[in-house]
Amino acid sequence: MIPSPTPITFVLIILGVSTFIFIMLLPALLELKKPKDAGPRMIMGQTFFRQPEIRNVLIVNIEEEQGFDQMLVEKIANVMVVLPNLEV
Amino acid sequence: MITEILETLFLILTTLMMVYLIRHYIFTLTVLKRHQKREKAVTAGNTAYQPTISILIPARNEEKVIERILQRMTELTYPKNKMQIIVIDDASTDNTAVIAEQYSKTYSYIKAIHRNKQEGGRGKASALNAGFKHANGEIIYCFDADYYPQKDILEKLTKEFVDPKVGVVQGRITVLNEPQNMVTRLVALERIGGYSVDQRARDSLGLITQFGGTVGGVRRSLLKYLGGWDESILAEDTDLTFSVYLAGYKVRYVHDAECYEEAVEGWRAYWKQRYRWAKGHMQCAFKHSLKVLKSGNLRLREKTDAFLLLNVYFVPVLVLFSLVIGVPLLLLKSSQCLAILWISIPFSLYSFVGNFAPFFEVGIGAYLDGRTRAQWLIPLLIFMFLYNIPICTNALIDLLISKVFRRNSKNWAKTIHSGNGNSYITS
Repeated sequence: MIPSPTPITFVLIILGVSTFIFIMLLPALLELKKPKDAGPRMIMGQTFFRQPEIRNVLIVNIEEEQGFDQMLVEKIANVMVVLPNLEV
Repeated sequence: MITEILETLFLILTTLMMVYLIRHYIFTLTVLKRHQKREKAVTAGNTAYQPTISILIPARNEEKVIERILQRMTELTYPKNKMQIIVIDDASTDNTAVIAEQYSKTYSYIKAIHRNKQEGGRGKASALNAGFKHANGEIIYCFDADYYPQKDILEKLTKEFVDPKVGVVQGRITVLNEPQNMVTRLVALERIGGYSVDQRARDSLGLITQFGGTVGGVRRSLLKYLGGWDESILAEDTDLTFSVYLAGYKVRYVHDAECYEEAVEGWRAYWKQRYRWAKGHMQCAFKHSLKVLKSGNLRLREKTDAFLLLNVYFVPVLVLFSLVIGVPLLLLKSSQCLAILWISIPFSLYSFVGNFAPFFEVGIGAYLDGRTRAQWLIPLLIFMFLYNIPICTNALIDLLISKVFRRNSKNWAKTIHSGNGNSYITS
């Protein structure tokens, strides 16, 4: 059996809904009046990290850009290979 | 008889809305799950991959903000010998052309293109196409004139193009002038939900990640294949997104590639901007919906998400319809069997569980950003949602009228930027 609403029920509903809306909006109104949020989001402080293996690739790029003689580098590398290992 | 028809219609509308609301929950829970697993986006990727790039900056009467972005472009860490910046002065009547020309003379990699009154003023897509003709980079990036990116944003975005299946890459947009007023604060919340949750979840689930038309890039070869930007569509970014997916490529979202934007500062400007977005999105829905469903390049879940995304701006119109149908239905039904008091209970429950899904999404986005205090403003988003109902309905009516009478439906309402965001830049 569903009861029929009386005038008092309507008044209570309106009051209840109004209170609910007020309570729901209260934090928003407080934040608007006295903002404590730290916004806008800071995005500038982030640094860009390069991975070690990528750094090697970048060095090769720099060598190419600066015009190093690749043949000369290879010759020096070949000489270094036959040199005795001084760390032993 | 009328009651049965109304009931059926109401049921269909509610089901459609529920589908969208479930979608919101799936996205939010996906991002939360990822966060719990502490899956962090890799900041440094394959930075060895540094193709030549062209950055297009369309600008129409942007004298208050153009210098800010051009100066920032000179500070980017991407190798300047691989970078070309093209400012498209779209028939500006203020000092935009003068400022662009000054930078063009000072920096060899900056080029200014000037469009006259006959060529210019036809919208962003038209300006971008004009710039594209002069672009020679392998990757074509787009930045709006009011934007302000991180210095290393290009490295973060470009690394995704190592995958040959990636056609477009999109970065995150953050509101710069957020503390200015209530509108900018609410737009900032919308952006948090849209990028921190929506885009991230779509990318994570392998669904349809959306290109926002700015803070993103597209492969030059792909753009050429697609014939550039479609100038008849107001939402050229959404159009490009779907064209890219239909061509068999993907759009990737890079969450840690961030860029500031200057949000609209008033309700009228918000209306103009969202009206353009809604109308453009609806144009895309008419253009791509069938193609998406028939496409052999998309999986079922991609098709489902694509269809829902394409039609997302119809949702506020559906809400209006459901209200129009729901009220007489409520009155008819209440006299028959149910009292208003009792019918309001399931309606309220539905509102709590379902209707608040987008707000839940924004709340989680703010939480993930560490913005717990900003969450206090979430209830105010209901006004944004209600405001979107007349905006989208107006856009749909105008679009239908223009289709019936074959009028030009493309009237580009440009967003005016005040340059107020300058005061928030500290670095």
